[in-house]
Amino acid sequence: MEEKHAIEVTDLVISYQNLKKTSIKKNLLHFNRQKADRFVAVKGISFYVREGEILGIIGKNGCGKSTTLNALAGIFSPDSGTIDLHGHSISLLSIGVGFQREMTGRENIILSGMLLGFSEEQVKEKEAEIVEFAELGDFIDMPVRTYSSGMYSKLAFSITAILETDIMLIDEVLSVGDQKFKKKSYAKMKSLISNKDRTVIIVSHSLETLEELCDTVMWMHDGLIRRIGEPKPVLEEYVDFMEKN
Amino acid sequence: MFKRFRDDMKKYWKYAIYSSKAQLKSEIANSYLNWLWWILDPLCFMLIYVFMFGYVFKSKQQYFAIFVFIGITLWDFFNKSLIQSVKVIKANKPIVSKVYIPKFILILVKMGVNGFKMLISLLIIVAMLIVWRVPMTYNVIYIIPILMTLVVLVFGCCCFLLHYGVFVEDLSNVLNIVLRFLFYLTGIFWNIMDRLPSPYNYYIGRCNPIAFLLTSARDCVIYGSTPHRKLLLLWFVIGLIISALGVRKIYKNENSYVKVI
Repeated sequence: MEEKHAIEVTDLVISYQNLKKTSIKKNLLHFNRQKADRFVAVKGISFYVREGEILGIIGKNGCGKSTTLNALAGIFSPDSGTIDLHGHSISLLSIGVGFQREMTGRENIILSGMLLGFSEEQVKEKEAEIVEFAELGDFIDMPVRTYSSGMYSKLAFSITAILETDIMLIDEVLSVGDQKFKKKSYAKMKSLISNKDRTVIIVSHSLETLEELCDTVMWMHDGLIRRIGEPKPVLEEYVDFMEKN
Repeated sequence: MFKRFRDDMKKYWKYAIYSSKAQLKSEIANSYLNWLWWILDPLCFMLIYVFMFGYVFKSKQQYFAIFVFIGITLWDFFNKSLIQSVKVIKANKPIVSKVYIPKFILILVKMGVNGFKMLISLLIIVAMLIVWRVPMTYNVIYIIPILMTLVVLVFGCCCFLLHYGVFVEDLSNVLNIVLRFLFYLTGIFWNIMDRLPSPYNYYIGRCNPIAFLLTSARDCVIYGSTPHRKLLLLWFVIGLIISALGVRKIYKNENSYVKVI
């Protein structure tokens, strides 16, 4: 059987350059304020993820992990290189799709769902399940600005977890809410991840999680891929490297 | 680009409508008089202007209250949409940084909210026309192309403001000054055609699109005359061009916005 790729990334480069904010005064005073420092976060990486594969990304802070995820989710545009998702729907499960603070939880569920590419009817079908999973009770009809931070992230998690997309990007394995919800969300996530059809990319610092869940681990260092392969050897090398430096 | 625009519109149209509705709902949910504000707000401003300019400065304009009300209605839509679009990316940061959305959809959401309020004001105008027994002619239907032109022009301007609003921090200050100036050059509570010395009234009345649209709207609704059709069409086409360029600008740059805010 031919293996299908869900994600193909070639020569991805992402930089944060000359995009500094400016003001009219600054522009007038410094006519040639050129040479804004260019910071290249991802320096040309290529990899692919097979359908149903679980890829873990590890690396120290600022090595371009999250930038890569954001680019995959379509939030950042690559400076060069391509990302091919082969038409799969994708969602970034970090702290959920953003909420409109003035609107109620229920309205936010629908809006978030629509942004993830579902129709209003599809979201409404799942609405009850989301509300139940989020354990918000009557608060679901209150504006989101009245939520505590725990409630906020519980709702956010529930939306992205229950509205399932083909590809899920997980930034930092979530520890959301109180002990009980943490356990529940971890279990839910595990069941989501282990679904054979779902392609998952996890960014995490937790070695145990990565070793337990992933088929492949990619180690990023300074915007480049240092190693990619079976979890165990890659992680061991990573630990070694981190201890020496 | 046009195909992408069409696809995006198809995909996100419902989102824009739902989001506008929810925003309108949340606006009234926390106020005492809730939806009454949509009527009270323009009505009170009209009363102030009628008092100031009708009695204090003794304007001779026929049907002065309606005259002012049409001015406020169209101006508010224009003014609010432009001001909001400068900060629309920042205001929607939680969404923009978490999921892809064509950024002009955020403008459409705002325009939906403001447009709904404009629609209510238009209904009040209809009521006023009936109460004052203003004689009607078929020229009233020109209000439809006039409003369409307004919407297209506003959308185009908003696209550019959205883009530059991300990068230029003090754009909103500049915009406020420009809009205030434009406000006086538009003749919300006087007729620029009468009050400005000629030939300036002629230039401003035609080259300032808002002034032109306002005057045309009043002419066709209150005074039963036909607006300058060629000029109207010209402004409509200009609006379309600005919108197309604006959408192109957004498409080219939108994925960089997150890196800045």
